[in-house]
Amino acid sequence: MNKNRIAITLGIVCLVLTIAISVQIKTMKGTSSTVSKRFSEDNLRDEVLKWKEKYETETLNLDNAEKRLATVREESTKNDTTASAKEEQITLNNNLLGITDVEGKGIEIIVKDNSSITSETIGVLDDISNYIVHDNDLRNIVNELKNAGAEAISINGQRIVSTTAITCIGNVIKINDEKVTSPFVIKAIGFPERFETLSRSGGILDNLDDYLEISTRKLDNVKIPKYTGVIASKYMK
Amino acid sequence: MNKEKITMATVVGIVCILLVSVMFAQFRTVEETDIEGIEVAREEELRTMIASWKAKYEETSQKVQETNKKINEYQEKAESVEETANLLNEELAQTNMLVGKTDVTGEGIIVHLSDNENKQIEEKDLLYLINELRLAGAEAISINDKRIVNMTEIVSVNETILINTERVTAPYTVKAIGNQKYLSSALSLKNSGYIDIYTSLGKTISMSVEKNIKILAYNSGNNLMKFKYVKEAK
Repeated sequence: MNKNRIAITLGIVCLVLTIAISVQIKTMKGTSSTVSKRFSEDNLRDEVLKWKEKYETETLNLDNAEKRLATVREESTKNDTTASAKEEQITLNNNLLGITDVEGKGIEIIVKDNSSITSETIGVLDDISNYIVHDNDLRNIVNELKNAGAEAISINGQRIVSTTAITCIGNVIKINDEKVTSPFVIKAIGFPERFETLSRSGGILDNLDDYLEISTRKLDNVKIPKYTGVIASKYMK
Repeated sequence: MNKEKITMATVVGIVCILLVSVMFAQFRTVEETDIEGIEVAREEELRTMIASWKAKYEETSQKVQETNKKINEYQEKAESVEETANLLNEELAQTNMLVGKTDVTGEGIIVHLSDNENKQIEEKDLLYLINELRLAGAEAISINDKRIVNMTEIVSVNETILINTERVTAPYTVKAIGNQKYLSSALSLKNSGYIDIYTSLGKTISMSVEKNIKILAYNSGNNLMKFKYVKEAK
């Protein structure tokens, strides 16, 4: 009688233990795959940083090489009387391309997502997406700036060059293939008074101002950084 | 009797502990399955980022090599006025081409956009097309032979489209030099590509892939090829 009871109890304990162990094994499997996933993700993250760093170092190398080229060029063509005009042209071309840092008088426009509108405060018939900055808002502002005679433009430090695309993938805006986020600081060099057309009643900034947070100011000296990528000519001759 | 009770209590206690630990284990498993979806997406995103930085690095690295080669050439030929003049001319020609001051040829695509009874082509359609072409790596672009350079604007004034302050009218022929495959596949992506988007809006658009396209130099006055306000930063 007593023996029987002990046997049954032991049986139950064994059964529970078996279940517990098999569950445990399953969990272990899951954990180890997650660990390896985390591990490989960390590796990937490391690799992203590694390539980014390599790119940044190479950008500095390019910077130095270009400065050196300018010196060597000047030095080795000093006996050529036609050289200095050509060198000036090359410098102008590089400035036009946007691969040099430039400065001059102009304007700074800051465009922000509207912080006073949230999913709680928004009207039933309204759409929250109206209150955030979209890629085509930025494209339109850039186009208007060009129309107002801008000579150089940047958005959050990304120089606008002839190969610049402003796009949106998911909800990430990319300029020159690099992520940019609100607030967007748009800088342009040009005749400040001409830029006023952007803010005129019915103009692009006036229209956007109904939804977004916008501020503009004229500046005596706007600094615009160079494009750090390469403007290639692999396919055109 | 007393002994039996103790045994029972112990057994029940053990079972309870086991059950609790099994439940914990269970919870953990559930949690892990939940975050798996995000992790996969993250990994993919990371891979794209690596590819993008790597491509940029390689491009820059190549440019560094080219620049160093030029430096060496100048130094080697420093004695000869004629030879350094040639090098200088080459460099000038190269930058002139990149800026858009010369006619260029190469492979690419031609996009035709025309008005139909219901829908007209608007300036914003052209602006968006230019952005898409640039994203797909276009090196030179023109619309009705007006070269699109860095500071080119496309605006509409009284229903007339102006490019480089010159009037252009429908039909529009947009030429782009670049990798044919990238350009054509980017525009013809199903549903989300430029052609599908604008065709579904009722606009008339077609595209052809060409081996040899000629794009004319910028020729709309001098105003986009000089600076009045920009100075090189010190």
